[in-house]
Amino acid sequence: MTKYGASRIMFLPLAATAICAPAQALVYMSVEQAQQVMYSGRSLAAMPLALTADQVAAIERESGVKVYTGSLRAWQVDDGGYFFVDAVIGKHDLITYAVALTAEGRVRQIEILEYREAYGGEVRNAHWRAQFSGRQHGDQVRIGRDIQNISGATLSCEHVTDGIRRLLATYAIAIAGR
Amino acid sequence: MPSPLLVAELASAAELRERLPESLRWVRRARPALGTIVEISVNDPRRERQLHTAIDAAFASIERVHDLMSYQAPDSTLSHLNRDAVRGAQQVDPYTYAVFAAALQMAASSSGAFDPCIAPRLEEWGLLPRAEVPVDPAGNWRDVELLPGHRIRYARAVRVDLGGIAKGYAVDLAVRNLQESGIENIIVNAGGDLRVVGSHTHSVRLRHPLAPLHSAHTLTVCNTALATSADYFSRRASASGAVSALVNPRNRKPYLGGRSVSVRAENCMSADALTKVVMFAPTAIAETVLTDYKARAFVI
Repeated sequence: MTKYGASRIMFLPLAATAICAPAQALVYMSVEQAQQVMYSGRSLAAMPLALTADQVAAIERESGVKVYTGSLRAWQVDDGGYFFVDAVIGKHDLITYAVALTAEGRVRQIEILEYREAYGGEVRNAHWRAQFSGRQHGDQVRIGRDIQNISGATLSCEHVTDGIRRLLATYAIAIAGR
Repeated sequence: MPSPLLVAELASAAELRERLPESLRWVRRARPALGTIVEISVNDPRRERQLHTAIDAAFASIERVHDLMSYQAPDSTLSHLNRDAVRGAQQVDPYTYAVFAAALQMAASSSGAFDPCIAPRLEEWGLLPRAEVPVDPAGNWRDVELLPGHRIRYARAVRVDLGGIAKGYAVDLAVRNLQESGIENIIVNAGGDLRVVGSHTHSVRLRHPLAPLHSAHTLTVCNTALATSADYFSRRASASGAVSALVNPRNRKPYLGGRSVSVRAENCMSADALTKVVMFAPTAIAETVLTDYKARAFVI
């Protein structure tokens, strides 16, 4: 236990040796686990989603968010709804998330699947991202491992919000109109 | 078309979990909420499906706090108060009233080093959306009146932002919700403001204030709350020069000091608000307030 003096404010020295990287690399759920939690007992059919150049342009115009081809995967659910897995890149993080839409195209549930941090340059580097792409299929989900906790100034989830806006635009343009 | 995938038949991670030793059986989920990423982790002998149901309910309570107390959403209770409470007392739900009461108590005991009325500054700096309603630049927490019957009135045209305290309250509410479901080991972490409950001891890494993607220290916590404030993620250039989401209520200037302040307290709402007290109050006041709240601060 740490010993305290009379003061309730403790200044922690910055020890260079204590610095370790990366700050966070977390897997919450695999795609399959997210499907189980959101749609227990229902059946999901993978839905190929090849966007045309016109559709990409329309999605970017409507959502104001850039489309990276290949990041979005879609499933149709037997209750008429849809299940999507997509990823967004922030200033220094890469977040994979799942979204459940109702048959009417309204957001029913959002779950973060993976959260990874790295410096800005790295998250935009295809090689850095490629090392995690296999994990999306759930084969290496580290369930039950020791819990990693971080406290720090609050991170914004603005780019997840942007990603959901892009996904709703994708739904409206490429799926609902089919 | 690929053949349909029956979700219930998948070799489940639940089975994998059952084979792990008890101390490792954590179920952990995260959702975007409160403008950040909120994580809920639970460890309990009951079946995984029951734990997911309890986590769903806990997330719902967090989303409720967001819906009531969001500064950005025009239809939140807070936005309604910020528009109408200057014209007369408005009745609110017990949750919003409780957070207002805690915010004003913190403001009073810290002589205004914590002040929920600094939003106009954040609007000016582009960190909060601009409201159309005019604001009295001299207004502060003293202009917010709590009246019996969960009613709130603003004596002057102030705009309250609960961003410095509501996240902590949401964490506490989610924890209470999970405890009421009978779950023993709980961690709720709203983007760095966290609370841990149960018999387990956890280590929490504190971000390095100058290199926030690295950790600078590790604290060991058990049955406590810990919140951190720093300027590293919110610092940006604006028309008024460099700014951050942390406003010193005394001179209304942004905090750009490059330090990180973490506070350990009994509940997350107090820990969250106390980080601002330690950052902005004179040391003697900060020490007194920390003692009142049985809290400790860690400054990097």
